[in-house]
Amino acid sequence: MQRDRRTRVAPDRSRPSVELRPATEEERLWRLEAELAHAQRLIGDLRDRDALKTQFLSNIAHDLRTPLTAIITHAEILRDGLLGNINGKQHESISTIITGGRQLLDTIAEILLYAKGSSEPLTLTESEFSFAEIVDQVSQLNESLVAKKELAFERRLPPDLPRVAGDRDKIMHVVMNLIGNALEFTPAGGTVWIAAECVAGQEPTPSLLVEVGDTGRGIAPDHHELIFREFAQVDASASRVHHGTGLGLTIARRFVELHGGRIWVESDLGKGSRFFFTIPLRYVEA
Amino acid sequence: MIARRVLLVEDSVLITSALRVLLESNGWDTWVSPTLTDAIGAVSDFRPDVILVDLTLPDGDGLDILSALSSETPPPKVFVMTGHDDDATRDRCLSAGCDAVLIKPVPTRDLVELIAGAMA
Repeated sequence: MQRDRRTRVAPDRSRPSVELRPATEEERLWRLEAELAHAQRLIGDLRDRDALKTQFLSNIAHDLRTPLTAIITHAEILRDGLLGNINGKQHESISTIITGGRQLLDTIAEILLYAKGSSEPLTLTESEFSFAEIVDQVSQLNESLVAKKELAFERRLPPDLPRVAGDRDKIMHVVMNLIGNALEFTPAGGTVWIAAECVAGQEPTPSLLVEVGDTGRGIAPDHHELIFREFAQVDASASRVHHGTGLGLTIARRFVELHGGRIWVESDLGKGSRFFFTIPLRYVEA
Repeated sequence: MIARRVLLVEDSVLITSALRVLLESNGWDTWVSPTLTDAIGAVSDFRPDVILVDLTLPDGDGLDILSALSSETPPPKVFVMTGHDDDATRDRCLSAGCDAVLIKPVPTRDLVELIAGAMA
């Protein structure tokens, strides 16, 4: 058939204007290898930067600790009147310097602990100990805060709780952190509790199950995982009421997982929080 | 009455300036050594009743001061100061033979009480 010269034939849009030869297997392999090498360089670069960040944190924390120690010591010398008598108001101001300084030191210690755990493999220094004694010690350390905030602190431990074999310092740190958070986020008149029991059948292996609960403001379900991430703050505003490094729960999770256990939270806004952690029974002796 | 003597082994000038004020205001003669080498020399020259030593020194481990005390009679009390608040550090110090492990910053009242007890 002869084509009418005035009729324009529309181009076929379904066909590409440039036709490429399909890559051969060899070319595809070469491209994948190049992408893999690039990704490996990126991973290496990120690891280097992460190590630098950790080293920086560690250096800063060390550098802050020494002058802060000197400030606290000088303040205590003044408070105790070793350089001359002071009046009541001066005593109060100096005591505030000391309290604030010690809080800063705790923060620095937390950063150092995090940096140490990030730069070298964590290990367990195992011994056999009483979990009830850890709870007693933590209760004693928080006595004044409990009284000051007019909180009820309940200790719900069975009398036959077995001794634990594990890293006492690390488990103590986890308990300190959970109870410290509970006390901080529970308003005056509230209740904070710690409970522990041996459970079999619920976990992959029989475990010591510890619960730290409070009647505080609670945590929204979409923040339950976030709070265990490093540097996470649920309230990131500059005017937030509660301050901290955002590392406490990250470190707690590391320590629990190092024992082969797990840690989680059950909570909702306005309904308080219940933090749980387990230590597998292979670390528990009857 | 002879003043009792404290040898303070610590390399941070900020810390030693604070502790020197504390120790001297309690009536104790104080000698500051910024290094382990200097401290080992001071043990025989100064003859301290108490040694307050930092665990980490620029030229060695603070516990090495213990080996310089074998000929001293009576041996001075040795209190080790450290920023490492853990069982492993405490066990290492106590099994090496030091008399107490103090976590920095040591509350001044506790420190004074401890040294006064050692001097008694």
